[in-house]
Amino acid sequence: MDRRRFLKTTSGTAGAGAIASSLSCSLRKRGTVSRGGRREVPTTCELCPNKCSVVAVVEDGVIRKLNPNPENPKSRGMLCARGNAGFLQAYDPNRLKRPLIRAGARGEGKWREVSWDEAFDYTAQKLTAIKEKYGPQGVLWSSTEAFAEIFFKNLGLAFGSPNIVRHPTLCLSSVNLAYSTTFGTVPSFDLLNANYVIMAGANRFEALITPDTMDLIDSTMNRKTRLICLDPRFTVTASKADQWFPIKPGTDMAFILAMLHVVIAEGRHDKEFVVNYCTGFEQLTEHVKPYTPEWAEKETEIPARDIGRIAREFSDAAPRAVFYAGRRSSWYQNDFQMRRAQAILNAIVGNWDRQGGMVPNAKIALGEYMFLPWDDPKAPRVDEMDKNFPLAAQGDGAYLKLRENVLAGSPYPVKGWMIAKQDPLNALPEQAKTLRMIEQMDFIAAIDIQMSDSAWYADVLFPESTYLERWDPIEVMSGIWPVVVLRQPVIKPLHDTKPCLEIVQGLAKRLGLQQYFDFTIEQWNEAAAKELPIEMPLEYLKKHGVFTPPGGPKYGATLNPEHRFVTKSGKIELYSERLQENGHDPLPVYHSRPEPPYGKFRLVIGRKAFYTHANSTSNPWLFDFAPENRLWINPASARSAGVADGDQVEVASSVGAVQLRAKVTQEIRPDCVFMLHGFGKRSPWLKRAYNRGGSDAALLETAWDKVSGNAAMHETFVKVRKV
Amino acid sequence: MRMNRKLQLVISSLTAIVFAVLLSMAAMGASSPKGNDGKGRYYFRQTCKECHTKGAKGGEITPLTKTQAQWRSYFLKGKHGGGSETLIKVMADTQLLDVQTYLINHAADSLQPETCGK
Repeated sequence: MDRRRFLKTTSGTAGAGAIASSLSCSLRKRGTVSRGGRREVPTTCELCPNKCSVVAVVEDGVIRKLNPNPENPKSRGMLCARGNAGFLQAYDPNRLKRPLIRAGARGEGKWREVSWDEAFDYTAQKLTAIKEKYGPQGVLWSSTEAFAEIFFKNLGLAFGSPNIVRHPTLCLSSVNLAYSTTFGTVPSFDLLNANYVIMAGANRFEALITPDTMDLIDSTMNRKTRLICLDPRFTVTASKADQWFPIKPGTDMAFILAMLHVVIAEGRHDKEFVVNYCTGFEQLTEHVKPYTPEWAEKETEIPARDIGRIAREFSDAAPRAVFYAGRRSSWYQNDFQMRRAQAILNAIVGNWDRQGGMVPNAKIALGEYMFLPWDDPKAPRVDEMDKNFPLAAQGDGAYLKLRENVLAGSPYPVKGWMIAKQDPLNALPEQAKTLRMIEQMDFIAAIDIQMSDSAWYADVLFPESTYLERWDPIEVMSGIWPVVVLRQPVIKPLHDTKPCLEIVQGLAKRLGLQQYFDFTIEQWNEAAAKELPIEMPLEYLKKHGVFTPPGGPKYGATLNPEHRFVTKSGKIELYSERLQENGHDPLPVYHSRPEPPYGKFRLVIGRKAFYTHANSTSNPWLFDFAPENRLWINPASARSAGVADGDQVEVASSVGAVQLRAKVTQEIRPDCVFMLHGFGKRSPWLKRAYNRGGSDAALLETAWDKVSGNAAMHETFVKVRKV
Repeated sequence: MRMNRKLQLVISSLTAIVFAVLLSMAAMGASSPKGNDGKGRYYFRQTCKECHTKGAKGGEITPLTKTQAQWRSYFLKGKHGGGSETLIKVMADTQLLDVQTYLINHAADSLQPETCGK
């Protein structure tokens, strides 16, 4: 039912795309169009990290709809369900409309409306008190990717805190680190031109519908690209694949190592590419000898003959063959090494920088508004990144280790928490621990557009203008064909809200840090745009919303034996000395994951493309698609647990329990159960989503990947019982 | 004339200090210098990029132009403009330490894991 309704919406979007094609012609001619009370304003979506270009249709000051902007090749004239529904954020009657200061106990829901001055003064006073007592490191600054995130992050750094923690260790840090370690960069996957795609755990036809999903649909439907899907669930992606294997959870690396074994043993690798561009092939050859398909069959429960066949098909299709890295988080504590195995497999078949393979992202140089930065923080990070995860991006932090140390007060106390565009209560596993972290804070302030669960527990709330009501910094969306995008206001702010920069400036002024933020967004954007190779670049961006360099995608710029990769050796590192020097396996070594004990199941989680993580479940259009999550359970498992389809069940792990309804289905292995992320909301201001379904964050145990610090989301075993 | 000698003395002492700092950093081997990376980036863009961009008279230079060892060796030699002048003539010593930190931290063989967003 969900799928049918979603397809209906995306068909609508395709229709909108056709309308927008003609619309884009008028935009190219005239830019922002104003006719009577009707305007068409190009801007940039904010509903997911893809940041597609949109054109808002505004009549008499009211947004009537959002159309895709086909001038952006990255968004390819498409706007997904979320993108279409995004404008309802602005008109949500329950959004944050003016600054609030908590009037009752934390989580009691009693608030006092205050002026911006009072909110700024109160917050600055609290932050200063913490700074005097514990030092600037006593305040934690946490945020999620956004165009304006840089201002918030810079305020934390200028304040003197080393404790900036961003979202990547709840997201893609294991992928980023594994590919950076191997290639010195994280490439894009050219799904539009690939002939053979392997997806393991990535559910791109269902969990994230972005333009590269459409590329894949186009490839599989029209060009007959072969798609191999490994997933313990029969997902929509599995249903569209040429072959689906219900792989035993946690064994992806065994499958990849066996593919490497076959490719190398049969001499199917790209020998010239390996010689010219890679180091460590001899060590790799020795390393994968024991990892036979027969060995992998016992681990993965995928027949050895299929593993061998897929390895041969994959290498035959190379370089137009990719083992897709996906846009999903980490599942296991060895996720970095599993990603390394993927990267190595991709490397040795020579798909690097080739059409239909993996392509290093092209970038466009922007100018920069220059200001002299602050002194470095004097204290080390509270998560001790340099000791625990020395190879990972130090400035991002490692969220779960950070939470452990904050709770332990080690190596020092952290008593203030500034949060921007993030909902840690739903984003981090083990919600009870996040609640304990909240309890031990002297002060919490949040910048958000809505009363998220985490905002519900804050002391001060700064209401941010929605993406349709504000300017944001110009951004480069790097990729196979990079673009520059602008976000500009489509309507004036409907309520007493401010953009992130003005909130940061209000606080900076009261904290004595105004010299670092003494500019306007216009000055920032003028400086950024001035290096673009077009006349009046900012005016161009205001008119078009996007700048696309001519020429289209380019391949092969790094395919020159003199090219130096940004790695220690300057080559693609199959064997990594840097990993070895830091006490990690220089080549991926397989370790079996523990099996669920009798009567328990492995909890696996996932997403639907209607929702961005946990933050759009209260959007009325999107809510209708999936108003609650259900627990997927195999009929055999359901029988043994005494559960029937539709029953209310309790799901319990070692750290929490939630209730939701069961979906008894053959479309999942008997050893695991599944639930969608982002439900079971605690904030009553999220009217629709409040108390609907169960929260995966309440069940997931704390575990992380050993190299990157990325949260490992599939390490939890649960019991299920009918209630 | 006396002023000039005083100036010379100041310059030679400063040069000695800078070289002492650079030598001690070289002795630290592969460890990063202890300057301020962010300020180094600022000084590099403000001072060096004037001549060291594509098409400009100094030719394009970025941190990726050299490896960490090559940058260390460059700063140890302390020469600029093909050896025609000392680095201290181009930039104050504290700024040099910051620029060196920035260039080494982001050199062609440095550890630079990519991230999501900025």
